[in-house]
Amino acid sequence: MDFSQKAQQLEAARALVIALEADQEEQAQIQLGILTQSQESDLFHQVGKLTRELHEALNNFNIDSRLIDLTENEIPNTRERLNYVITTTEEAAHKTLGFIDLSLPLTSKLKQITEKFDSSWHRFRIEESDTDKFREFKKEIESYLPEVQQHSDQIHKNLSDMMLVQGYQDLTGQVISQVISLVEEVESNLVRLVQVSSQHLEHKQKDNKPVDPIKAEGPQINAENKPNVVNNQDEVDDLLSSLGF
Amino acid sequence: MKILIVDDFSTMRRIIKNLLRDLGFNNTTEADDGLTALPILQAGGIDFLVTDWNMPGMQGIDLLKAVRADKNLASMPVLMVTAETKREQIITAAQAGVNGYIVKPFTAATLKEKIDKIFERIDAQ
Repeated sequence: MDFSQKAQQLEAARALVIALEADQEEQAQIQLGILTQSQESDLFHQVGKLTRELHEALNNFNIDSRLIDLTENEIPNTRERLNYVITTTEEAAHKTLGFIDLSLPLTSKLKQITEKFDSSWHRFRIEESDTDKFREFKKEIESYLPEVQQHSDQIHKNLSDMMLVQGYQDLTGQVISQVISLVEEVESNLVRLVQVSSQHLEHKQKDNKPVDPIKAEGPQINAENKPNVVNNQDEVDDLLSSLGF
Repeated sequence: MKILIVDDFSTMRRIIKNLLRDLGFNNTTEADDGLTALPILQAGGIDFLVTDWNMPGMQGIDLLKAVRADKNLASMPVLMVTAETKREQIITAAQAGVNGYIVKPFTAATLKEKIDKIFERIDAQ
């Protein structure tokens, strides 16, 4: 209530007392009317203020209706996308491991054949003049060559297939980029929401919940900037040996 | 020698299994977390445990503690193969009685080195 309103009310109150004492009923009613009117206008003023605030708050919620869409649609969708990343990378890893499993015995066979050639060649060089030995060696080479070619072809095919399987990176990379965009959008919406609500809320002190120092966290990102994290196996070994293990 | 490999990712189990096979350990079995691993261990017949740390259900560190607390399993060699690299974690694992600690990603040479070291120590006892 400002100064002039207060003065007006005081004047009306004094006039009301005088009118009542003088039994001037009509005058008393007039002064009472002035007093009530002033009170009502103050009430209207307050209601108006509240209505404006409510209107602004509702408008802000309208701005953040995108948040509702994000919560209802985009986040479940993102869960599916991230599960797709897990499934796709798992499949690709198994396929790659499968081709490795197929190729390793072939390389062992090639190694065995080379070792056989090597020992035959060694024998032949010692007994150079022997034509029978040469014929024998020639036969041996001829019998193994198709096998060498077949194994080499198969290894080549397995390696090409392994290369193709790496295409998963393109697919999962795209999905992860979409998820990053979504996280950025959620972040900016939340920041706006916090800005709006913090006008009405008292700033609460940060929770000081105790942190479990050995809670599993998975691979560390930016490990080199974290003093309580080791960066490689050597650092693990150094730490353990410093403890006497 | 029968080895139990515990990891929630089947690809990592397969990689460890293949590397162990290359090192001459052909007899391996698998579990995807501590809760499924523990009954296998308690059933007997396992000589060596290779476990991840971060798994749903029972984590590797709790599996290690459960093994050390079980009088039938207490002396079993345990090798931890994990992406957990906080100093507090490594110290906790060492205090809980882990025999070797390998951080992911790792090489075949590291796996061989740590396994050799574990068996050297066991043989020396």
